[in-house]
Amino acid sequence: MIHIQDFTFRYRESERPVVEGVTLDIPAGVFAGITGAAGSGKSTLTYAMNGIIPHCYPGDFYGTVTVDGVDTCTATLTDLSRAVGSVCQDIDSQIVTSIVEDEVLYGLENFGVPHDRIEARVTEALEAMGIADLRERAIASLSGGQKQKVAIASVLALHPKVLVLDEPTAELDPASSRQVFELLAAYARDNGTTVVVVEQKIALLSEFADVLIIVDGGRIRFAAPPREVLAHSEELLELGVNCPRSTTLMNRLANAGLYTGPVCCDVREASEALLEVVA
Amino acid sequence: MIEFRDVHASYDEDIKVLDGVSFQIPDGEFVAFVGTNGAGKSTTMRLMNGLLKPDAGQVLLDGVPTTELKTSQIARRVGFLFQNPDSQICCSTVREELLFGFKALGEEGPDAEAAVDGVIREFGFDADADPFLLNRGTRQLLALASIVVLAPPVVILDEPTTGLDFRECMKVMGIIRRLNEVGATIVMVCHDMEVVADFARRVIVMSAGAVVDDGPTFDVLRNPHALGRASLIPPQVVDISLALPLMDERLVESPVALANTLDEMQAAVSEEAGR
Amino acid sequence: MNGFLEYVPGDSLLHRLNPMAKIAFAVLFAIACFCTSNLIFLAAMLVLGIALAASCKMMRPALGLMKAVLAFSVILAVLLLLTNPSGDVLVELPWGYVGTGSVLAALTTILRLEAAAIPLFLAFYVTKLTDLSNAAVKVLHVPYKYAFTFASTVHFIPVFMNDMAAIMEAQTARGVEFDQGGIVKKVRLMVPLCVPLLVSSVRKTNSAAIAAEVRGFDLRTRESGYKAYPLTVADVAVLVLAVALLAAAILLQVL
Repeated sequence: MIHIQDFTFRYRESERPVVEGVTLDIPAGVFAGITGAAGSGKSTLTYAMNGIIPHCYPGDFYGTVTVDGVDTCTATLTDLSRAVGSVCQDIDSQIVTSIVEDEVLYGLENFGVPHDRIEARVTEALEAMGIADLRERAIASLSGGQKQKVAIASVLALHPKVLVLDEPTAELDPASSRQVFELLAAYARDNGTTVVVVEQKIALLSEFADVLIIVDGGRIRFAAPPREVLAHSEELLELGVNCPRSTTLMNRLANAGLYTGPVCCDVREASEALLEVVA
Repeated sequence: MIEFRDVHASYDEDIKVLDGVSFQIPDGEFVAFVGTNGAGKSTTMRLMNGLLKPDAGQVLLDGVPTTELKTSQIARRVGFLFQNPDSQICCSTVREELLFGFKALGEEGPDAEAAVDGVIREFGFDADADPFLLNRGTRQLLALASIVVLAPPVVILDEPTTGLDFRECMKVMGIIRRLNEVGATIVMVCHDMEVVADFARRVIVMSAGAVVDDGPTFDVLRNPHALGRASLIPPQVVDISLALPLMDERLVESPVALANTLDEMQAAVSEEAGR
Repeated sequence: MNGFLEYVPGDSLLHRLNPMAKIAFAVLFAIACFCTSNLIFLAAMLVLGIALAASCKMMRPALGLMKAVLAFSVILAVLLLLTNPSGDVLVELPWGYVGTGSVLAALTTILRLEAAAIPLFLAFYVTKLTDLSNAAVKVLHVPYKYAFTFASTVHFIPVFMNDMAAIMEAQTARGVEFDQGGIVKKVRLMVPLCVPLLVSSVRKTNSAAIAAEVRGFDLRTRESGYKAYPLTVADVAVLVLAVALLAAAILLQVL
């Protein structure tokens, strides 16, 4: 669905490329998580996927990026937006209206969805994010987690083939963060949507992502199922990425010769594996 | 010493946020407040430096009610790091930013200059850099440095690690720990339970405007009832250590059922497997 | 928690009126207030304004607004009182006198400003911004770009006000004395803080523009709007009432 070939990008105001020689393939229907240290180029990578680069930020663009078979350089940002839904980092500036319902309507109206289908789309998107009861509410009166769900619902209503989210849970508490991931994963599974999410909370990615992509210094260091990537917990730490504690614990026990099973991605897996070791 | 006596607080007159909160924080403590968004944590922080005054009850700083003090007076004793460093940063160079606090307090002079130079060295800043061109993590460090430089006896931090990557997070928390070691009282709001487990010595759990648990860090983090009430999940190692005896009751007496940290758990497992 | 000029949900008659009718009524109402100096008429207009506020349960913001307008208009009124000698002499002044006419003029100013302000502000509290801009596009054929720019500007006012409040709080916490001293001192302290506000505003508007574009802003036409804004009998009645009020005001002044 997303195909990146030898992609390098340098922002006009920076001296060095932020992303360098990236080749990456994200098949349709995959839930891909991207993480890495600050300044590693992970946001830039998502901008390349939703067309914000090269269309909004000027700079030197090398290589090709195609999304759903369309070259992002030749298509307009508006055309790309028909296939790719984007949720950016700053929730407040992402929201363009004052009422939940209007926010969801906004994109539907713009993209010319036939008026007789709009009502169903609005209801469906709000339900997918579990916020049908907030429909009439003023967005300013919502909590951070609720606002983020509104922002995602307003993009889901457009039925994007690809959903790109840049740190959607940065300002949320653990319970709401988890809920956002659960809702996203369920929606993507039911609709075959490809999801690309940049996230610092690696425990969430380990649990929900099909593919975990680790970016460092503008290059991709790992792009594989979380279980494979997390096997390298010490190497990851050097890249500024801290594995979930459950993974680190089991990897340490494996190094000490106490555990021989597969890498554990979450608390449940680690607890079950540990039971075998100690019982 | 910070003391809350049955504090009630609200916004806009009619939105109640705190509903009878009481606790004491003696000098030199390292306390983490945990709870979901909207539990009243940030309000509690704002009450501590007088940005907000209680509707009922008392907030006492060294025995003096905050209602008798101006926030700008409290500023000398209580440093406050806001969640978003951008609301704090306002000068055009790092050096000026660090001097700004002294200016605001009317304490410019050679001592202030020396303190600023020391902090610039300690944090490894470029003194002439424009704060607005620094990345998010460095801006957060700068905001923290502008408080550290004033060496207030109490430092309040509202989610100091939000939006930071792991290295930045460890750097910020390392500095906060050092402050505490040289005597500063640290009060922080933190969502990351791993950070809470690693750094705090006492945890106060808030839910719906009330304190639901308060005690030494791991006593609280091992209390699933209180954490559950506040929709919180314990740190992963504690979670595993609590889960194991439930999965196999022979482990109830085992050291793995008591391990709180990675090292403790690793040692406990080695011991258990060695039997 | 509701901010300044922020929509308050409800289903009163005022909420349900056509956005254009509401704005037209508020504007005509304000013009009418400025067309006449008839105290009784102005008092009646003020009562009508308050009644409107009450009808949509908006008394609290309305009272808040009236307080603010009162503060402003009292300053104007005092100026008028001192500089506009007319009618029977009440108090001698070195440069003239305060007369019954001066008192009347001052009172008129206060009443007029109070009466004119209420419906204008009310219109924002009972109308969703998107409805306002969408209706302007549909009914008045205003180009969408302009309507959206206007709506975004108003939409961002509370966001920026929140930012400013956060910045002032952060600086107070650092010892800047926002909580003591007079207005002049406060303004002097605020000036350097405009830099961070500006930086965050530029960032926000930039990402808002991108966010709008990736949701098809460029494709929007007059036909895009999902909601229709037909003029109902009630809307027409409201407009007729507004015109009648304006006519009455002019007649009272001329006669």
